[in-house]
Amino acid sequence: MKEAIWEKKGSLAEQLWNTGKLDFPIYDMHGHMGPAYGIYFQNCMPADMVAHMKRIGIKHLVFSHHETLTGFKPNPEVVEICREYPEHLRMYAGIIPQRTEEIKRDLALFDSWKPYAVGLKILPIYHNHKLSDKEYDYALSFADERALPVLIHTWGNAPECGIYETLCKYPNAKFFLAHCCFGAWEYAERCVKETHNNVWLELTAVPGERGIIEKLVGMVGSEKILFGTDLPWFDEYQAVGGVLSADITEDDMRNILYRNVENILGKDW
Amino acid sequence: MKDLHFFDANCRIGNDLDIMPKTAELLSDLDRYGVERALVRHNAIRWGALPSNSQIAEMVREDTENRLVGVWCIMPDSCGEIPPPDQFFKLMKENRIGAITLSPFEHRYVPRHNVIGKIMDAAAERKIPVLLDAFAEKWNQLYDFMEEFPKNTCIYTEACGKWGYDRQIRPLLDTYENFYFGTAGYWVQDGLAILAKKYGAERLIYGSNFPRYNHGCGMMQVKYSGLDHESVAKIAAGNLDSLLKGAQL
Ligand SMILES: [Zn+2]
Repeated sequence: MKEAIWEKKGSLAEQLWNTGKLDFPIYDMHGHMGPAYGIYFQNCMPADMVAHMKRIGIKHLVFSHHETLTGFKPNPEVVEICREYPEHLRMYAGIIPQRTEEIKRDLALFDSWKPYAVGLKILPIYHNHKLSDKEYDYALSFADERALPVLIHTWGNAPECGIYETLCKYPNAKFFLAHCCFGAWEYAERCVKETHNNVWLELTAVPGERGIIEKLVGMVGSEKILFGTDLPWFDEYQAVGGVLSADITEDDMRNILYRNVENILGKDW
Repeated sequence: MKDLHFFDANCRIGNDLDIMPKTAELLSDLDRYGVERALVRHNAIRWGALPSNSQIAEMVREDTENRLVGVWCIMPDSCGEIPPPDQFFKLMKENRIGAITLSPFEHRYVPRHNVIGKIMDAAAERKIPVLLDAFAEKWNQLYDFMEEFPKNTCIYTEACGKWGYDRQIRPLLDTYENFYFGTAGYWVQDGLAILAKKYGAERLIYGSNFPRYNHGCGMMQVKYSGLDHESVAKIAAGNLDSLLKGAQL
């Protein structure tokens, strides 16, 4: 047998294989928390999630609580969870388009939630909306004024969800397309390349798919790709292992796992 | 790798319609990630058990280092499309085939005892593993199948999605002691350690679901599952190795 990637002296793959960690902080830009209706999680509470993050060296997880996105847990309660783990947890304020008053109330508080709240989370399709629907205007304008990150759930049906048109309307917000419009790779490429240089692809559910990270790096460049896991849906070792398994350069891996985020948000956030 | 051996239970090669990897590409990926061995089935079983059985045997022969073990697809007893069990198993041994699978929905039969009972009973008696990869999202049919064939050694290799399905799979692990769970696509945070603690590391078997997924992501998940080295080694290779060695072909 030839030398495996894990055996290559001095490589990132060797480092993670031998030590379980990397010599840089990893930022997971797409997480959740708490029980979810369609899946059983044993370890979905903050203590277990943070323990898992510490094991591999995730510096920050930016998450939106499942129960916020399903309308049970208001954003202010999630800020309190972050306060218990100030080193590790950051949040996206969940935006439910049907609740226009709640959106205004929460965004009025947003600045007081710093440093915990770093952006907004939008799930158009789960909430029976297109991103281009007017119910999102207030939140997107808010993000655009402050150049905030907005994590948008996307999948292969992204072309029918009004994503591209909306990205074009807001040149200052920082859009993270969750799951890279999974399967609609050319559409994802267009969203990155034909907008205002303010769109990144977020990798949740992609690491491990044979050849796809390589394809995306070829299409948009590793500078436009961010790491994420949907934690607790995907194990950090599976996902980081998936990035290191890809046939891309170590510079690409570093861009994806931490450099791009530090370019967007800095090192201290 | 010297510290840990991997034996992948879930690889598919060959296809007459799509451009899919064949033996050389699989071996090259196994090398890249340091996977020693793989249990490999034909990617186009759905298009016919007999041609895919004969083609997978040929493709396994191309591996001159004995790293690949093949899987053959069974057919109903009554139509005589495959030889009687003793002869079928003898041919399996001669062709370096170590396990069987079935594709009842594509091959249009009902996977019940009065349809495939002869070959399934013989496989149960000889402890020949049955790979379950035809029941993706057909949980009712999978539950019926396991009720019909509780004594067979079954390895679940669906990877029907990459979202943990504990609610569907745990009842099977609870009920059937010969039901083994392949790890491909089961990527829940801490999920492997949780399942191993509940059911024993003996019940979990590493699988990649090549060529859809690469081998490396799941290897890292197994290695850093949080389990002790002995349990990790069982999941990575030991359990599958034991099952195949225990099969009396
Ligand atoms: Zn998500």
